[in-house]
Amino acid sequence: MDWQALILSLELAAATLLVLLPAGLWLGRWLARTGFAGKSWIEALVVLPLVLPPTVLGYYLLVSMGGASPIGAWVRQAFGVQLTFNFLGLLVASVVFNIPFIVQPVQRAFEAIPDNLAEAAAVSGLSAWQAFWRIELPLAWPGVLSACVLTFVHTLGEFGVVLMVGGSIPGETKTIAISIYDRVQSFDLAGANQMALLLLVFSLLAVGASFFASARLALRR
Amino acid sequence: MSITAAGGAADDPALVVEIDQTLPMPLQGSLRCEAGELLALVGPSGAGKTSMLRMLAGLMRPQSGRVAVGGELWVDTARGLCLPPQRRHVGLVFQDYALMPHLDALGNVALSLLHLPRAQRRLQASRWLDQMGLGAELQARRPAALSGGQQQRVALARALARKPRLLLLDEPFSAVDQMNRQGLYRLLADLRQALAVPIVLVTHDLQEARLLADRLAVMDAGRVLQQGTPAHIHDAPRNARVADLVGIQNRFRGRWLGPAAVAGQGLLRWTGESGDAESAPLLTVRDKGKVPAGQAVNWIVPSDGIALVDPGARRADDFGAHVSEARHLGEITLVTLCLDRVPGARLVLTLSGPQRQGLSVGAPVGVRMDPARVHVMPVRNR
Repeated sequence: MDWQALILSLELAAATLLVLLPAGLWLGRWLARTGFAGKSWIEALVVLPLVLPPTVLGYYLLVSMGGASPIGAWVRQAFGVQLTFNFLGLLVASVVFNIPFIVQPVQRAFEAIPDNLAEAAAVSGLSAWQAFWRIELPLAWPGVLSACVLTFVHTLGEFGVVLMVGGSIPGETKTIAISIYDRVQSFDLAGANQMALLLLVFSLLAVGASFFASARLALRR
Repeated sequence: MSITAAGGAADDPALVVEIDQTLPMPLQGSLRCEAGELLALVGPSGAGKTSMLRMLAGLMRPQSGRVAVGGELWVDTARGLCLPPQRRHVGLVFQDYALMPHLDALGNVALSLLHLPRAQRRLQASRWLDQMGLGAELQARRPAALSGGQQQRVALARALARKPRLLLLDEPFSAVDQMNRQGLYRLLADLRQALAVPIVLVTHDLQEARLLADRLAVMDAGRVLQQGTPAHIHDAPRNARVADLVGIQNRFRGRWLGPAAVAGQGLLRWTGESGDAESAPLLTVRDKGKVPAGQAVNWIVPSDGIALVDPGARRADDFGAHVSEARHLGEITLVTLCLDRVPGARLVLTLSGPQRQGLSVGAPVGVRMDPARVHVMPVRNR
């Protein structure tokens, strides 16, 4: 069992969620509430990481964030950090490929809230901020919760993009999915099996529990 | 007229509305309502009643217009003023109540009281719900576990807890059964006394409007066609469309022939389907001096301006008719009469008591009209 890789994966998933949750809430809610001519294109852009091969996504992330790219060069100059082959680069990549996993369920959850509840809140004197915390978020919560679980579990299991952007540096970018691959490559099937099974059971439990919780929350209404 | 600091006129009614917009949908007209009065907006679906209400609540911004409540300006597009709903102190009961599904009844009402400390909020919310007849057990239930009538009381409590300066009710009785409705009517009647703010009710139920409203505003295709007391609109609708919308059944065609021999009276020819026959009967009715001679008109007579007389006792100015249909509905009878001398003219009456005895299909009757109750409206040439 490669505990170092497992811990790194958990850290990466938690950090991804921390960055993506506020951004995803904002973007998903905004997409649910507005309608304009170019909205479909933005929605398409959101889904893109889901349909692109991980190698394509990884390739573009690598060339756009690498030291030779304008973004990479600027970040190194401004903050003195590098965006590829380290944890930070992994985090950026992870955030990008998880966008559809958080934005889409959040958007659906906010779309399901009847418009007149927000109106009733406004007429009752609630500011937009109060209406968000007291009305919208509690009502969207089952959807938001399953979005978080999906994102977390998906980050644990991501392989292609991570390999392209992060390489396989132990303790820095070698996640559990890559560790499994390495074990298989070196014919350590028993080691690979341990970790694969752990990931399988954990993913099943997490997704199952979130579905169960969502159904319970929906029932209480 | 003195202007108060807030920009309204001191002697204005408690609610003054002037709206004129063509986009996104046409909405036009002015409304007036005193404190403690109930103004009912009536009209067919799509007439703009709910849009008018949303405009008052601040959920929609008018293209151009002015709204003043209790001397305070809420909307004045000329000055670029349009207060958001949060700053209007308006109570709105939505058609489907729009209760928050994740909060219990108490939590829903407490939502209007966020400016108070938490403990006081719940205390006041509970008091409002008590007043609406919902006890502690019901207060702890979520909307899904409440009946339609109970949900409506929660919605009303939420609207009232805000201490509104204007109370808006959007078809609040449509989802409530007849028995609960009577109780709610009584509740509303009591509230009106206690609240002393203007109340605007949207309804498509004319009977309900007549029962509850001090004033009616008849709307059609986005326009306020007429506004006044229910009795006034019933006796003197502005035009044939208003007469139809308020459910006046006895509307006929005619031609105004000008002043009669007696001052203050005019001659009206009752024309039927065949047009201006010389044989068509003449009526001598009140002349308000508004209609030019020779003008084609619509005219109405309210049912309490019509009396049935025994055919044998007919006077010269009574009309002969035959019963063409008589439907006995328990306590009342709906009678349709065919006028002998006006082809196509049908008179519909609701009768009760001894009057309805002996009225069978084909029976002859005499019809006596009170000329003072006849109301004449020019046909508009489009």
